[in-house]
Amino acid sequence: MKRYDLIVVGAGPAGLSAAIEGAKRGLKTVIFDENEKPGGQLFKQIHKFFGSKEHRAKIRGFKIGEELLAEAAGLGVEVVLNAAVIGLYQEKEVVVRIGEAVRHYKGDAVIVATGATENAVYFEGWDLPGVIGAGAAQTMMNLHGVRPGEKVLMLGAGNVGLVVSFQLLQAGCEVVAVADAASAVGGYGVHAAKVARTGVSFYLSHTIIKAEGGDRVNAVTIAEVDERFQFIPGTEKRFEVDTVCLAVGLSPMCQLLKMAGCRVLEIPAKGGQVPLVGTRGETSADGIFAAGDVSGIEEASSAMIEGRIAGIAAAEYLGYAVNAELEAAIAENEAALSELRQGMFAPGRRGDMVEFTDEGIHVSVSLLKKGYVNDEEIARFTSASETPGFRPIIECTQNIPCNPCRDVCPRNCIKVESITALPRLNEYNACSGCGLCVASCPGQAIFLVNGDVGGGFANVTLPYEFLPLPKEGDRGVALGRDGQVVCEAWVSKAQISSAFDKTNLLTIKVPAEMAGKARFFKSKGAV
Amino acid sequence: MEKRIGEHPILGKPQKGKLVTFTFDGAAAQGYEGEPISAALAAAGVSVHRYTAKAHKPRGIFCAIGRCTDCVMVVDGEVNVRACVTPLRAGMDVKTQRGVSAV
Ligand SMILES: Cc1cc2nc3c(=O)[nH]c(=O)nc-3n(C[C@H](O)[C@H](O)[C@H](O)COP(=O)(O)OP(=O)(O)OC[C@H]3O[C@@H](n4cnc5c(N)ncnc54)[C@H](O)[C@@H]3O)c2cc1C
Ligand code: FES
Repeated sequence: MKRYDLIVVGAGPAGLSAAIEGAKRGLKTVIFDENEKPGGQLFKQIHKFFGSKEHRAKIRGFKIGEELLAEAAGLGVEVVLNAAVIGLYQEKEVVVRIGEAVRHYKGDAVIVATGATENAVYFEGWDLPGVIGAGAAQTMMNLHGVRPGEKVLMLGAGNVGLVVSFQLLQAGCEVVAVADAASAVGGYGVHAAKVARTGVSFYLSHTIIKAEGGDRVNAVTIAEVDERFQFIPGTEKRFEVDTVCLAVGLSPMCQLLKMAGCRVLEIPAKGGQVPLVGTRGETSADGIFAAGDVSGIEEASSAMIEGRIAGIAAAEYLGYAVNAELEAAIAENEAALSELRQGMFAPGRRGDMVEFTDEGIHVSVSLLKKGYVNDEEIARFTSASETPGFRPIIECTQNIPCNPCRDVCPRNCIKVESITALPRLNEYNACSGCGLCVASCPGQAIFLVNGDVGGGFANVTLPYEFLPLPKEGDRGVALGRDGQVVCEAWVSKAQISSAFDKTNLLTIKVPAEMAGKARFFKSKGAV
Repeated sequence: MEKRIGEHPILGKPQKGKLVTFTFDGAAAQGYEGEPISAALAAAGVSVHRYTAKAHKPRGIFCAIGRCTDCVMVVDGEVNVRACVTPLRAGMDVKTQRGVSAV
């Protein structure tokens, strides 16, 4: 039986981070992952992540994965792929299926970072081809370059449903609607807003009644539900689609931990059954640790921190690190974790209806019900002025842990006091119109407005992550936050820059009074 | 609509192996070496991977990561092969699975 100091199960952000910390301290470390490619969820995430510099904010998920892998490889971590761990026993014996072979390994410490699995939901026709998980849609389009379908209905308005809807649009699919049985959008409002402004309708308090089709889905019917999730007759809406995508939550995958005899608890706020873990990721079984989504559904940023803590703790457990170092690392990482766990979406506040922002501003109800902040509500947060000169319009209306806009502005125009505070403009506006804030905002919620470019027109610069990129001189229409046409528009500039990292900047000219409304552009041909 | 993404706004052009020929239900089909069989089939517009043993209901891709077994097919004579995690190779013989219980 081959022996390692540290065996890590799962090569997602948690597992890779854990292995890195273990290997740094001299542990002979191996990671097993059942996938053909390492990186876990990260490799499907093509959007820029939230957070601050320390959490690798504004870097796209797959890039973070590549960075972690390179670091692990540099430290001599052995990464074994296509290797499903099928057994874990109290003595830290690990059983792995690699191809046809079943092999046994012994670890002096084991870290389980197996992540989560997607939940399913049942309705008439749920088993038809064309009804797929959101993760499957991501795998097909982002890893294999194949569109999962042409016309898609998304069930689920949490972050996964919202992010995957946007990714479907980027892959060139049509998203006919986003539906969710909950009465409010559960994910970040900015993720919803960037989908809604392209013209996608949101149906909250709605769920699927049935999917129809022969050898593939060809239609889906949704209907409104009441507070007890019962269908309200007469509210049915039918859409012709070839794909129904399910994004109805994730459950931690803690089977291996159970097998090893670790105590598990049912904690709904963490996504279901999770292992009982201490501050250093230790489970109730000696020398077995857990980190990442397996111990509670959260984010990649927190998974990386938990992984680091578990890696150091494993080193300390084996005598490769001194306790003082562990305590210091725990304190430092806990501070970073608690920073992330602030704001409206903090784990403890999940499911609460928040009425006011931390600043005391009444939240946008339209954002929660329809996916966009309406024209009346936006005035509580920001306003465009009809004067010459550049001004960033920051449509960030919820307290989420994120601050790249502050850090990228070369003239310090943007303040974000605590990481979850709403960004504010400094009184003295020194904006040069460089557009870095527009490109770096992971929520694509910043627009640059020049309120008077002559002739009664204004320029609006918006983030644009679609192909083809419209060209200077193109004519089309501007869409509002709600995805409806607000006016005619002309492209005055289309900027591509490596500093923008694929978020191209599109500047459109619109009548000056529309500068506060125009938030998306469709070329004439595309309307 | 073309099922393959020619150029992606963030990922650029998909990195693919060489174009190879395989057979699907007896007819010649094409796909890229190393991609999952299911990707080649999806690109060719195939949604049904198997029909269930008892009710003969169609099944296709559901999880795309090898967990649900909805996508199993008969590959080179072997039944219950998960098409979503089995890499395509030139000359493979892929058949819709009928009347065999999925694992
Ligand atoms: C659509 C979407 C968008 C997201 N956006 C963000 C975001 O903007 N910011 C953010 O911070 N987070 C985001 N997340 C969340 C983030 O991706 C996850 O929280 C994070 O990946 C969890 O990390 P992990 O290492 O715990 O698990 P995972 O990334 O799930 O990795 C677990 C790994 O373990 C492997 N594994 C499981 N069981 C076994 C076994 N028995 N044997 C071998 N290997 C096994 C799996 O194959 C996988 O590779 C998003 C998630 C989704 C789905
Ligand atoms: S689609 Fe789930 S195993 Fe292949």
